[in-house]
Amino acid sequence: MFEFAIAGIQAPLFLLILTGFTVGIVGGFIGVGGGYMVTPALIVFGFPGYMASGIDMTHIAGKGVVSTIRHRQLGNIDWVLGMAMIGGTMLGVEQGVRLLTYTKTLGLSGIILLTASVVIMLVLFVYTQLETGQAHKKMAQMTKDGEKVGREMTVSRGPAFFQRIPLFPIVRCRQAKIVVSMWVIVVVGIVTGVLAGFLGVGGGFIRVPALIYIVGASTHIAVGTDLLEIAVSGGYGALRHSMMGNVDMIAVLFMIVGAMFGAQFGSIATSYVRGPAIRYILSYSLILACVGAFLRLAYMLTGQKYEILSFFAVVFTLGEMIFLCLFIVSLVYFSVRHTHGKPVPDWVPSLVVVK
Amino acid sequence: MQEVNKKRGAVKFFFWTLVAAGLFFYAFYTYYSGQMISWYYYKAKADGFAVNARALTGHSKENPALLTIGSFDKIEGLQAVPVKKGDRLPVNANGIISKEQVKKGERVVLEDKFLKVLVPMKIREAKGFKFKDTFMHKEIQTNPWSGVWNVVMILSLGFSLGLMAEGFTDMMGYKLEKIEHFEGAH
Repeated sequence: MFEFAIAGIQAPLFLLILTGFTVGIVGGFIGVGGGYMVTPALIVFGFPGYMASGIDMTHIAGKGVVSTIRHRQLGNIDWVLGMAMIGGTMLGVEQGVRLLTYTKTLGLSGIILLTASVVIMLVLFVYTQLETGQAHKKMAQMTKDGEKVGREMTVSRGPAFFQRIPLFPIVRCRQAKIVVSMWVIVVVGIVTGVLAGFLGVGGGFIRVPALIYIVGASTHIAVGTDLLEIAVSGGYGALRHSMMGNVDMIAVLFMIVGAMFGAQFGSIATSYVRGPAIRYILSYSLILACVGAFLRLAYMLTGQKYEILSFFAVVFTLGEMIFLCLFIVSLVYFSVRHTHGKPVPDWVPSLVVVK
Repeated sequence: MQEVNKKRGAVKFFFWTLVAAGLFFYAFYTYYSGQMISWYYYKAKADGFAVNARALTGHSKENPALLTIGSFDKIEGLQAVPVKKGDRLPVNANGIISKEQVKKGERVVLEDKFLKVLVPMKIREAKGFKFKDTFMHKEIQTNPWSGVWNVVMILSLGFSLGLMAEGFTDMMGYKLEKIEHFEGAH
């Protein structure tokens, strides 16, 4: 146990480092900050709610930089796309926070927040599952037919539609091989920023699907570019939280140690898989987080009578981190086995690459 | 070629490890010297009494905490220092019991030269989670420059840890190739 003089609590160091590590793996792999997993975990460890959010946001900024450096090495970052989106995201986050303040004045913020979270995550989960399922089938068929399957496969028609919008200025994102109106990128940044600011999260779980299904980036580039965004927007969020006195920097330092190792593994793991594998993990993380948020919503709507709902919400959120880590580790394991010609389950070959 | 990369990787790894270790050492030094804590518990955001909220642990209505009021430079245990909005906080102060709170008389009562704390902790709820609401952090203003310090520190740490890890994989000869995003059918 370590005594955190600023937070005024005693918390187990090992669990803090472990949380940083597991969320680092998931975040580095699917391109999210993982706020929806870390904040509940910190509250369970005894940190006050506001401080849990501040510590989480500050550690996300550091983890974002660590992951960005690794993804840059893997060629997963499109700097033009990232920079164009950052402005829109910052503007959106400010508007989202104002919207949240407005709902607070109505005395409804908790219920509205959780309902919005559940609906958004559910919609994204369903769409990602359906699209990725189709793409996976197509890849499996191509593998069966002996065709050379690429890193990426999407069947969404969204990017073709949005890339046809002829609004000046048109930008060329060389790394992502996209030619699209700057306004599409900025508006996507604003909309995802509003949602992120309103829900009080980094917004990676909204931005990664938006980059894939609206802008048309490949999954790997969406992940890397989003982590660049997270480093910048996380830094801004960390500044705001720190100025409001929501950050115990020592807790952040311990978490970043774990996150550094996790983010390395998560980022490198992306080089072992194809795009749909990342999208599957993203969609599973969405549905699991959605169930956790739904349980908390049910707890609040039932007048906070049934403690078991709150308990299971926490168990679910913490279990989700472990489940996703194991899934990512197993994908890397199967990829290595497949590379060495050892038997793997039928669903694996179309999701992993032979290195 | 691989050998050269390994050597460069080793130099990179050791350099950035030193930088990261230096940053960690500096951060912990700032913490243990009390500097970081004094930045956090910087000024009073409201008129009231500066207290060490931890000293109130274990007290209740049946066993209230009796705080001696005085102008102490350093709060030792059950002591309270009257402060006005914007005053620097005394050493060891980590919360303010505001005048409004005293006026209400529900959790705290003013008795001559003593401040009687009846309810130092309440269970409250936020975002569907229960937490202990104490006087800690209440009406505290953090030094705004500590926010800048935090962000610079975490971004510098992230940067040095990221390059340290990159140096480590290079040093071990684990070469990471750029991903071919657009090879084959997609």
